[in-house]
This record gives sequence, structure tokens and C-alpha cells, in this order.
Amino acid sequence: MQSNRLGWILLAPTLTILFFFGVLPFIYVVYVSFHSWNPFAANPEMIFNGADNFRRIVFDEEFLNSVGVTVMFVFFAVLSELILGYILAQAFMKDFPGKSFFRTIHTLPLIMAPIIVGSVWKLMTTPSIGIIPHYLDEWFGISMNIGTSAFAAFTTIVIMDIWHWTPLVTLTLIAALVSLPPDPFEQAQIDGANKRQIFWHITLPMIAPAVVATVFIRLMDALRTVDEVWMLTGGGPGSSTRFVGVHIFKEVFPKTNYGYGSTISVIVLYLTIVACWLLYVTMLAPRNSKEG
Amino acid sequence: MANVKIDNVIKRYGSLQVMHGVNVDIEDGEFVVLVGPSGCGKSTLLRMLAGLEEISEGTVSIGDKVVNDILPKERDIAMVFQSYALYPHKTVYDNIAFPLKMAKRPAAEIEQKVTNAAEILDLTKYLKRYPKELSGGQRQRVAMGRAIVRDPQVFLFDEPLSNLDAKLRVTMRVEIKELHQRLGTTIVYVTHDQIEAMTMADKIVVMRDGRVEQIGSPLDLYDNPGNVFVAGFIGSPSMNFVHGKIEVKDGKKAFVSDGGLTLPLPETTAAEGQSVTYGIRPEHIQIGDTGVKMQVVVVEPTGSETQIFAKAGNDLIDALVKDRVMAKPRSEIGFIIDPKDVHLFDRKTEKRI
Repeated sequence: MQSNRLGWILLAPTLTILFFFGVLPFIYVVYVSFHSWNPFAANPEMIFNGADNFRRIVFDEEFLNSVGVTVMFVFFAVLSELILGYILAQAFMKDFPGKSFFRTIHTLPLIMAPIIVGSVWKLMTTPSIGIIPHYLDEWFGISMNIGTSAFAAFTTIVIMDIWHWTPLVTLTLIAALVSLPPDPFEQAQIDGANKRQIFWHITLPMIAPAVVATVFIRLMDALRTVDEVWMLTGGGPGSSTRFVGVHIFKEVFPKTNYGYGSTISVIVLYLTIVACWLLYVTMLAPRNSKEG
Repeated sequence: MANVKIDNVIKRYGSLQVMHGVNVDIEDGEFVVLVGPSGCGKSTLLRMLAGLEEISEGTVSIGDKVVNDILPKERDIAMVFQSYALYPHKTVYDNIAFPLKMAKRPAAEIEQKVTNAAEILDLTKYLKRYPKELSGGQRQRVAMGRAIVRDPQVFLFDEPLSNLDAKLRVTMRVEIKELHQRLGTTIVYVTHDQIEAMTMADKIVVMRDGRVEQIGSPLDLYDNPGNVFVAGFIGSPSMNFVHGKIEVKDGKKAFVSDGGLTLPLPETTAAEGQSVTYGIRPEHIQIGDTGVKMQVVVVEPTGSETQIFAKAGNDLIDALVKDRVMAKPRSEIGFIIDPKDVHLFDRKTEKRI
């Protein structure tokens, strides 16, 4: 009992902060999502409108489009980060000259604020002054304009996200690889497995928990990407890079549509939880239940 | 099944040479134990056989084929690691089946071989379990199962019993020996435990500091150790060594220790005045009222036998006798030594005289 109470006392500050800055706002957002509320409309009052917002969302093409764009972005970005991160992690497991230097600088993107990453990439990609369009044109004769080409804008954002977040994947995978015992790998060589078979049968299953955790983090982060995209394209051209985060932002701030914006947030949270749950169930749960 | 030939093998890590020209011939079907203290290179040698370590110089052949540049998976060997190296995410069945699956054997054959191996090793009940749900001895048997399903040319064992408790070690020792008798496959077995080496091996290779000290059958090494190291390493408790000189007393050669203790000497070619190390195994000493007068230091009864540590001057000698001895510390006791059991070594070269 004594130690139990001590535990609660020690946790109390964190729980208090979490309650006021996490739980309460969340409950408030859910509450607002059942209302129509635009403080700058003719009627600035908060008016309860039941499930109207949720009904509206199902037929909101802009929202559905933003979900589609986001899912595509998350798929390409996270998958590339995972593959590239694994390759880099494997490279950092070997010894080569300048290894610690490269290992240090490759994590630098991680410490940059998204808004800065967005502005730097904006500088680099702005037609006529950016270095990327300049050399693409000079070397390959490709004209790139993220202000007019949906493809260029989307691809740039995916590459920017890969640049920004691959180091995180690399770091977690290095940690996972380092902690693996060497014996099963030597055993697998003797047992006749080639490199590909060792990867699929031994390495991947053994680092699966770390991979899933990394994908969780990246998935949740990528689903709520706002600042970089806002800086780089503002969601355009058209709605080609209007991710849900950007969509909510536009709905809530320029339009001050608080009620509907809250509804979208609640739905996005729900979708995120479902996506993570599906991922967990497909990748880890069957193993746990068998092993447990 | 195959013979194995290790020919003048040298191993270097950068400029550091750790193995200095090792030669071992292993007959087809032989059970060979590499034994030595830690750091002697026995595990490195085994790993070179397996292909997990590069061979800096010299050749290793399995079945008359030089395998220096052949990948582990193509050497047709099976290895059991000290840690067992089971695949933690696979069931016992999948662990044992893994080498067969990698070799793309038909499903029916895999099933039949795994079941068969599980029966031999008494693992049938555990096939659906994961390694973490097994005891140390069971894990050990799974590792052996994974080795035997392959029906390899050579089995390699790297200290497979070190992680087991003393009782289980004895049981598994018998099981491995039995397995060898049943399968007749060549086995190379690494251990630092000379009892394992003595009880299991057809042939023992004693190693130290990257060199082979002596190769021979267990009893041959016990009876005729080639140098002080082998004499001290083989046999438990280990041989007593007393440093001294050969002197002539009453026209007969005798051994006199640095502390002045005179001990019985067999016919020997050692010259008068030669500095020698005198070796006698504890179990070859009888106690009585005659013999060399010693003072009892410690008596250790184990029930079946009694070990007596006694000294004369600075020379400490222990004896192991079958009788129960109730000698008190500091009392006097006689150590009777039969000269034919004495081993003499040159003190400088440490070689047998």
C-alpha cells in the first residue's frame, strides 16, 4: 500500500499537467465537435447541432481528398524512410573511415524545427532562385515548379519528409540491430541461409518490435504534418498537397470554423488509432499470442 | 561423414598473431576434443573450421577438399553454440526444420526428419513451444536436433555444456557420446573442461596460446603427458609439481626439492645436477606410516574419497585416497610414492624427460 501511494504521489505532477493540457482540451474538442461555432459569423454563439458536423464530413469532398492525399504521402514517405533507414543502419553497423562523423551529421535534420525545414526547402525549390530547379534544368533539362505542378509539389514534400525523418528510423534500427545476439546469425549461415534468407527469416523477425514502434511514431507524426507543408506549398497547387493537418488548419484559422474543424480533428484521431491498431494486429499480435 | 585435416593453420588479427601453425588430423567418425584454458585459440580454430573466421595461412580440408574459401553453408557442417543460438521467434519445430527449409527439402521429408530427431532427443512434447519456454537442457537438445537433421559431414560443438548445471552436464555428456556412437559422424568438440575431454574423446588436442601442446588418446595423455602444461591440465585434481634437482646419494640418483625434500625417483636419463620438475598425481600417492614424512594442512572428505593437502617445508603436495582418513591438521603423515608413477620434466624446457 505504502509504495502504491508513493507511486501516485510521484506521478501526480505529470498526471496533473497531462490532465490540464491533454485530457481537458481533448474533451473540449470532442464537445465542440458537436456544435456549430464560428465566432465571426452572424451568430457567434456555440450552437449544439448534434451529429450534423459528422454527417457533413462524410460528403465533404475536400476532406475526403485530403485524407487520400495524406494516406498517399504517409505511404510513400514512411515506406521510403523505413527502407532507407534500414540500409543506413546496416551501413553504420560496419566500420569505415569517418563513421562517427557521418553518424553525427546524419542526425542533424532531426534537431531542426519543421517550420525551418519548410522554409529552407522553400528557398531551395523556388523557381528561378532555388538550387534544385536550377540544376534540374541545367543538367537534365527538367523544369520544376512546385507552385504549378502538383506532382512536383507532392514529390518534394515526400522527399523533404524523408530527408527530415529518416535519421530517426536509422537511430532506432541501429539500436535494435546492436542489441541483437550474434550467434543466431552465425548459426543461420551454417544452417545454409543466404543473405536474403537471413534478412527475412532472422533479422526482420528479430527487429520487428523496433520496426513496428518506429512505424507507429512515423505514422502518427506524418499523419499530422502541417508546418513544413504549410511553409513549402500552403497545401497547393490546388489541393494537391492539402493534407488533413493543413485542411484542419485552413478550416479553423482563416475560416474560423471551430465546430467543423474540431469534428475533423476527432475523425482524424479516430482514423489514426484505427490505422495503428490494424498495424499492431497484423504485425505483432499473432506472434505475441502464440508466444504468450 | 568425412575426415578433417588442419594443416599449419595461422590466424592473425591485424599484426597480432594468435595462432601459430596448428596441425590436427581427424579421422572419419572420430570424436576429437579441443581442450585448453580460455584464450588458447580452441574456439577460434573451431570457428575457422566452420567458416565463421577467416584463415590467415595454412589450409583446412573437410573430406579431402580444401574449404578455406568455401562459405559456411557450403561446408556441410553443423554447429552447436555455447549459447545454443536458437531462433527466439521460431518454435522448436521451426528451429529444427530451419536448415532443411533453407535447403528447400520437400515438406514430407522435413516433417519426417524433424519428428525423428525430436524422438531421438525426447523433444516431441515441446515441438510447438518457443525457446524461451524451455529449460537449459531442453534448449541444448533443440540445438542438437537442428544439427542432426542435416546429417552433416562433421559436427562442431563449441562448449555446448558450459551453460548447464553440473548434474545436467553429466547427463548431456552421456547423451552426446551416445549420439556419436549411434550416428558415427565426425565430431569436433571444444571445451575448457578436461573431464569432458577425458570422458568423451577418442582423441584430445591440448592447446595453449595458439599452439598444440599435445595430441593423443585420453589415457595416453594421462599416462604420458609430454610437458608440464599437459600434465597439469589433464587429470583432476591436477598433478603435484615440485621443483628441485637431481642429486646422487649413496651412488644412486635421487630427487631433492628446492626446499630440501627428498622424493623417490624412477630410473631416469636426467643428469646429476639437472634442474627438474617432479610430477606426481594425487591419486597415485598412498598414505601410511612409512614413506615421505609430511605435515597435514587440510583434509577434504567427499565420501567416496579423501583429499589430503600436506606440506614438508615449502613444498605442498596433495594426495587423493579411497579410504576415509581422519588425520588432524598439523599431525604427521607418510606419503608413499611408487617411483613408476613419477613424471619428470626439465625445468627450463618443461619437456618430459
